[in-house]
Amino acid sequence: MAGICCGVVGEGDTPAPLEPTTRPSRRRSLDILPLKYIADMAVPPSDGSRKRPKLDLRDRDNVVQNCDESTGHKVVKKEAKVEIHDNISETKNVTVADASEVEDSPKFGVTSVCGRRRDMEDSVSVRPSFTQGFHYFGVFDGHGCSHVATMCKERLHEIVNEEIDSARENLEWKLTMENGFARMDDEVNRRSQSNQTFTCRCELQTPHCDAVGSTAVVAIVTPDKLVVSNCGDSRAVLCRKGVAIPLSSDHKPDRPDELLRVQSKGGRVIYWDGPRVLGVLAMSRAIGDNYLKPYVISEPEVTVTERTEEDECLILASDGLWDVVSNETACGVVRMCLKAQKPPSPPGSPGSDVAADGSDRACSDASILLTKLALARHSSDNVSVVVVDLRRDQRQSSNSN
Amino acid sequence: MLQNSSMSSLLLHRINGGGGATTATNCHDTVFMTVPDGVARYHTHAVAPNQCCSSVAQEIGASVATVWSVLRRFDNPQAYKHFVKSCHVIGGDGDVGTLREVHVISGLPAARSTERLEILDDERHVISFSVVGGDHRLANYRSVTTLHPTASSASGGCSGTVVVESYVVDVPPGNTREDTRVFVDTIVKCNLQSLAQTAENLTLRKNNNNDYKCCS
Repeated sequence: MAGICCGVVGEGDTPAPLEPTTRPSRRRSLDILPLKYIADMAVPPSDGSRKRPKLDLRDRDNVVQNCDESTGHKVVKKEAKVEIHDNISETKNVTVADASEVEDSPKFGVTSVCGRRRDMEDSVSVRPSFTQGFHYFGVFDGHGCSHVATMCKERLHEIVNEEIDSARENLEWKLTMENGFARMDDEVNRRSQSNQTFTCRCELQTPHCDAVGSTAVVAIVTPDKLVVSNCGDSRAVLCRKGVAIPLSSDHKPDRPDELLRVQSKGGRVIYWDGPRVLGVLAMSRAIGDNYLKPYVISEPEVTVTERTEEDECLILASDGLWDVVSNETACGVVRMCLKAQKPPSPPGSPGSDVAADGSDRACSDASILLTKLALARHSSDNVSVVVVDLRRDQRQSSNSN
Repeated sequence: MLQNSSMSSLLLHRINGGGGATTATNCHDTVFMTVPDGVARYHTHAVAPNQCCSSVAQEIGASVATVWSVLRRFDNPQAYKHFVKSCHVIGGDGDVGTLREVHVISGLPAARSTERLEILDDERHVISFSVVGGDHRLANYRSVTTLHPTASSASGGCSGTVVVESYVVDVPPGNTREDTRVFVDTIVKCNLQSLAQTAENLTLRKNNNNDYKCCS
């Protein structure tokens, strides 16, 4: 465990000198991506690098770097540039809203990369202070196409906000989040039956997109609670005093209670490259996937956890990470990064810029390291990671900077 | 010789039928109940002991000609098959023997499928393809799809079509016949339902165009 962590930190140090040389290739790759999308050509994955670990890491690093550009619509360009120089990672399909109450927002880091998949179908949504001092973090792992995950990124926090407002003083988190997810699912299915256009390739071919869906793991951080709602096989893990505490449970079709639920509705779980509902889908709950209802439902499992002084961080990630990295290892990596937290090298404006949007170098380093670890362990999927610093003394540390 | 082969096929059908539950779908029986005699023979499959067969039928509120115009495009299955991300013709001239490489959307237990066009009969509205390679577990898959007017349509009612797709495929190691049937039937049902939606949308568009012309 310690060896793995030290190794990871070592890996973290190695790519730093390579950054200048990778910039040209980053730009080239970014230029190529739209062409690939337009042409819709099959690009064979290059797995030849497995035999050489160093090249493997470099390739993985390039993969990470290739996605290291801010495309969030609401992020100011200046901030984006500063963030790139500070190696703070904001990537495609990631939206970070401006924080209206800077001091109260927890620090966080986000990474979201295509990895070995041909298409990027993950989305991440970060909304500090999205309502009454609550902070929203969501990871959405799409399948079949990207538009359901994209819709979740763009709309789910708004829907949840409306549900919270309508609940007013009688806020019942489980009911609120269940309503929010149900409305999101309805919206996805209504849109797939309407004539509205998507900016993805499937609408060009097929007007009905029943076979597209997404996971959704959402964390709402309040001053005294962590509310996690999960639908699918992405996951949220709390690191408390060095111990990994899962705040969600993966909806795999062979989980005993999920298996019973599917069977009780007349469905079947068939082992076809792993357990799948009707042999088709490898998760038992998802937003969308209308053709598999009522076996695959969009109802989230909601956990409400009281925050404590011992809470260190919260990790949200898609199964591209969790399939190859255990909860304990992930917490260990993040813990190392938080402990090794360095003050920003130039005092003054970079510090204020970092503080301005809530993203943080230690958290960004942690999310990048976790992503690189997943790629190094040959994750075969998109990888999306959100790391949230839950420590109560961060104000003090930022004051000392 | 021919008689022996025919009897052998029939016997195999009976064995399969006997092996399954009484309510299990036998493609032979189902096909004969729903398909006109002229094309029923296309749905007769030779089924080996390690294989299973099944059939799926779907009614479509569109004319046979409209449905056929979508179904016959061996080079463009993604026009109605939701599980197809892209398709490239890799051999042949569009007639029998044409090969296509189909790329499947993510999240499914398959990545690619190489398929050969076996029958393309524009007169009888019969299309058939077999799977000859790819990255999936459906070895020796062969399907036949036929169109015919609905009973009400044939007797002068509104245009309607019945599409029937029957298939035969190896049962993969570790799975049962029932597993395989449930999996493939799910895919085929989804395909035929979206074929119905696509053809009906085409009909709507044509009708709208006609209305527009009438108005102008």
